[in-house]
Amino acid sequence: MIKDREKHTVGLVAIGRIPEMVLKVISGHILGYLNLPTCCLPAQGLPQACLDEKRLQYDAGKIIQHLESCAFADCTKILGLVEADLFVPIFTHVLGEAQQGGDHAVISLSRLQYRNNGTRSSEAEFYERSAKVALHELGHLFNLFHCRDSHCLMHFSGTIETLDAIELNYCPACRNFLDGPRRPALASIGPDG
Amino acid sequence: MQDRMRIMVVDDEMIVRESFYHWFNKYGHETETAASGDEALEKLERRRFDLLFVDIKMPGMDGLELLDHIKARYPETFVVIITAYGSIESAVKAMKSGASDYLLKPFKPEHINLVMEKIFQQKALKAEYQYLKNQFGEMTRFDNIIGESPAMTRVFDMIPEVAESDATILLAGETGTGKELVAKAIHAKSSRANHPFIPINCGAIPESLLEDELFGHIKGAFTGADKNRQGFLEIVCGGTLFLDEIGEISMKMQVDLLRVLEDRKIKRIGSNQTTDVDFRLICATSRSLDGLLTAGTFREDFYYRINVIEIRIPPLRERKEDIPLLTEHFLAKYSQQTTKHADRVDRGAEKILKSYDWPGNVRELENAVERAVVLSKSRTLTERDFSFLKAASAAVPEGRSLIEMEKHHIKAILDECGGNMSQTARILGINRSTLYQKMNKYGLHRNMD
Repeated sequence: MIKDREKHTVGLVAIGRIPEMVLKVISGHILGYLNLPTCCLPAQGLPQACLDEKRLQYDAGKIIQHLESCAFADCTKILGLVEADLFVPIFTHVLGEAQQGGDHAVISLSRLQYRNNGTRSSEAEFYERSAKVALHELGHLFNLFHCRDSHCLMHFSGTIETLDAIELNYCPACRNFLDGPRRPALASIGPDG
Repeated sequence: MQDRMRIMVVDDEMIVRESFYHWFNKYGHETETAASGDEALEKLERRRFDLLFVDIKMPGMDGLELLDHIKARYPETFVVIITAYGSIESAVKAMKSGASDYLLKPFKPEHINLVMEKIFQQKALKAEYQYLKNQFGEMTRFDNIIGESPAMTRVFDMIPEVAESDATILLAGETGTGKELVAKAIHAKSSRANHPFIPINCGAIPESLLEDELFGHIKGAFTGADKNRQGFLEIVCGGTLFLDEIGEISMKMQVDLLRVLEDRKIKRIGSNQTTDVDFRLICATSRSLDGLLTAGTFREDFYYRINVIEIRIPPLRERKEDIPLLTEHFLAKYSQQTTKHADRVDRGAEKILKSYDWPGNVRELENAVERAVVLSKSRTLTERDFSFLKAASAAVPEGRSLIEMEKHHIKAILDECGGNMSQTARILGINRSTLYQKMNKYGLHRNMD
């Protein structure tokens, strides 16, 4: 089990218009897969400062900074859910972003609602993808790295196709990591520090 | 992802550095960043990096200039160039300058994974190549010949000098002195190093077979010649042919080889057609070729043709100061090859090793150390582990001539007396000057150990 599991509560923050059912599904999966309690924090509007007007996408790093600036009581890990498309400066898009070994992560539901051919996915597909991305980013918060096992939840997936190919489960190695004593956070210094 | 790597991201835009930094952290890579080419070079000076992501457009030193510096100073470091759309030309230029790949930003996340996968493959191939190169170097490297005695230093000094020329070399030395190792070292240092080195022991091959081995044959040349076959003189093509125990070849073979050396052409057995050959010849002998010349069993013209440069490899008894170094080398070799961990010899064992005459030279020492390592039960080899050498030294081999018996006897008494010549002469019943003359004649030295 995750060390000091009883001390952790995952706070879910809806940023923008997020269907209530998605929050419930993700909450259920966090409880089921990580055995961690969740709480729904007050919903927020999309912070316009995070919008890149040239790209018409929201900067995932800035949204994480925004979440950091909000004082959420009683939650050790915060997961923001955004309806809009996210990016980090070097990438065209990301499905989610998290601080490795940190406390804040964000996921985007924007691309999870459609199939590769542009048609709308079924609700079941959408919920399952949402749960996968949420559990993946939470894995990073508990200091799991990207995994080589192409079936593992921690395997990197940048497209809906690859996301659908991974299983809704951590591989034994990642599961052992979550269940064992946690590795110390990788980097306590910033990229320029 | 496979191994973790040490990565540096060089970009003047902090936001790009941050993005890469966080991305690589998610894979467990150790990541550092630099805001300029100068900062990157400073960091490279302090520690080794496996991979650098370098932005092509930076104020001051640009990515291409940095790439040139990296490739000149740290060629083992992989570099991936980051560029914006519209700078493809620069990216191509970077690839030509040694970049491993390039990324057009912004890129899809899976693209960076593909690039990383490619780098991992290149890294694995490089490591494999390095391993094989080391293995090959192990077989041919110059320092495989161990010794720091003045006698061996002279040989070491000659190797690079003679390697540069294409002159035929005669290596003279007793059996087991390492003639083939010297020949390999000359080959490895020469411009022919990338071509074959073919050693042939002339003493171990019957004459008819040796001719076939060297010259090859055509189909039907003799009974059993059911197809054309190249000889080593052709196969060696551009390399070095090492003929060991050259004193053993027949007069006819000497004539044949002399002709090859003169004309650089051969005819396969049974063929009238000539083929050009290109090789360097190194010969070796453990017998005195002068003696063979006198006896008329070795042709003078062939002798002078192969003896353009003569290198004498000293026997081990003439360079006993190398014995501890050689012993240490063989101990390390056999401790590694066997499950035994003997890694030192005590003073008693060292004394035995130094006082023994080593008629079989370095090869005999190697065998002795191997035997001692295999049979030893402790980490330190003692006098007891080398007791078989004492027995061999004391025993008078059968079938030797009177001269050899006399030499052996004088040596044994000299050793027994710890090199004291007066005492030795008294025991032998001869005077000191006679003893001195005989010692000179037999090449005996006072062993003060």
